[in-house]
Amino acid sequence: MTAKRVVAPYVLILPSFVLAALIVIWPVNELAQIASHSVNRFGQLRDFVGMANFRALLDDPNFIASLWRTGIWTLGVVGGAIICSVPVALVLNEDFYGRDLARVIVMLPWAVSLTMTAIVWRWALSGESGMLNSALIEFGIIDSNIQWLAEASTAFPMQILIGILVTIPFTVTIILGGLSSIPDDLYEAAALEGAGRWEQFRHITLPLIAPFLNIALVLNTIYVFNSFPIIWAMTQGGPANSTDILVTYLYKVGFRLGKLGEASAVSLVMFGILLIFTLIYVRLTTARGARA
Amino acid sequence: MNASKFRRSVVCWLVLSPVVVAAIFPFAVMLITALKPNTEVLTPTWWPSRTAWENFQTMWVATNFGNALRNSLYVSVLATLGSLIVSIPAAYALTRFDFRGREFYRQFLLVTQMLSPIVLVVGLFRLMVALGLIDSINAVTVVYAAFNIAFSVWMLQSYFATIPLDLEEAAWMEGAGRTKTLVKVFLPLAVPAMVVTAIFTFINAWNEFVIALTLLRSQDSYTLPIQIFSLVSGRYTVEWHHVMAATFAATIPVAIAFAWLQRYLVRGLALGAVK
Repeated sequence: MTAKRVVAPYVLILPSFVLAALIVIWPVNELAQIASHSVNRFGQLRDFVGMANFRALLDDPNFIASLWRTGIWTLGVVGGAIICSVPVALVLNEDFYGRDLARVIVMLPWAVSLTMTAIVWRWALSGESGMLNSALIEFGIIDSNIQWLAEASTAFPMQILIGILVTIPFTVTIILGGLSSIPDDLYEAAALEGAGRWEQFRHITLPLIAPFLNIALVLNTIYVFNSFPIIWAMTQGGPANSTDILVTYLYKVGFRLGKLGEASAVSLVMFGILLIFTLIYVRLTTARGARA
Repeated sequence: MNASKFRRSVVCWLVLSPVVVAAIFPFAVMLITALKPNTEVLTPTWWPSRTAWENFQTMWVATNFGNALRNSLYVSVLATLGSLIVSIPAAYALTRFDFRGREFYRQFLLVTQMLSPIVLVVGLFRLMVALGLIDSINAVTVVYAAFNIAFSVWMLQSYFATIPLDLEEAAWMEGAGRTKTLVKVFLPLAVPAMVVTAIFTFINAWNEFVIALTLLRSQDSYTLPIQIFSLVSGRYTVEWHHVMAATFAATIPVAIAFAWLQRYLVRGLALGAVK
């Protein structure tokens, strides 16, 4: 009985461990191999070149620009999503007519594949026949068509806005989880003490949902940092690489230019950054566990 | 109808209105463009002069929709089953056993969750070239199943933890073995959790882009997102009414399933996130 009990959990987790490890650890090993060798476009390794692929990256102004843009992209989308999601979650936590419908609508962007969303927006933002321009003109907000995707100064902010829109559902979900854990009598007590709505929010709601906000922050940072389809399907990083972030840069270098060595080096750089995010997440969640 | 609740509802909807409009706008664009007659697609008016339902028929043939739909269904169903078959025992082990390496295993899953396919795509590509599996939808299926394990285990475990141990203990008292208890008592109670997890895994696989874009090379093996993407990328003229009809047809079934199930996701993620 006891021997069986000791072995059983390992037998139960083994298949999932093997499958996940095969798909994760093997490619990471491959990446390390490719990044440190010169390699042809079919992935055959030639000579060991050490850090040459990494050095080539640092010499590429597009890499540095993509790195910066990834920072703006991640900060803009994650920050924007959190700022929009807190009021949305607070409202959805209220009792009002049509709340179920409102929840479904707010969650909808999550259900659509990012590729499809990006393709629809690419069409909606088209300069001559796009429906956003015709709607804005009809409401008198603009008086001539804007070529949204023709240059980075309008395309990239639009991509960030779309990024925010599709990140809101997940963020709201996490915050709603936090709100549902706050007991109502806390608010009743505060109201008896004469605290207004804003004070209740600052001194009760915000501190109690803070751990959930932290988790949403870190998980969103990871997802958004990795997010490929919105930019790829709308502009493919163009015009002239001006909307590239690391993931689209990686894809272009690897599969358009066939430089698998440099692409692997980008992957490993991203891997390093992601590992830091992961450690932050583990710290946050275990700190919570210790307190609870 | 109570007056103060009515006033509150108006305020609530007003606050939500920007997000509501932005969320519905793409659906409106999709549907309206899909129903515009061929000749009006490029004119920047909102409403079509008549509803061109035939676009869906012509789209089906012109975009090779049926084939991509079949591929998407094949990949998503098998990936969901594969991921569930390995995740259910793992989630059970994490909920009902305390074993050495449990924390290590949880963190391993976390890392696989963090490393999105895009970061690994060059390595995966080379792995599949070495195995001769480029353009194989079975290979894509296995990769999808593997990448969904972390999510599935997380969701399943957060529900399994809410199933009271008392029932299983009662069954052991009656002399039922551990396996029998598992099959007769635990698994039936866990069915709703498995169904919900399966549907979300299915949606993930249905919507996945970068793996399919990299590993699938011929039109015959394209899944829906890649097929639709191929209609707009690198083309000089894009048949937008067909593209939007295809997008709409590929999106609506999933969106309805999602709308129906999103409250379970709220619960499952909230439970999982704080555990």
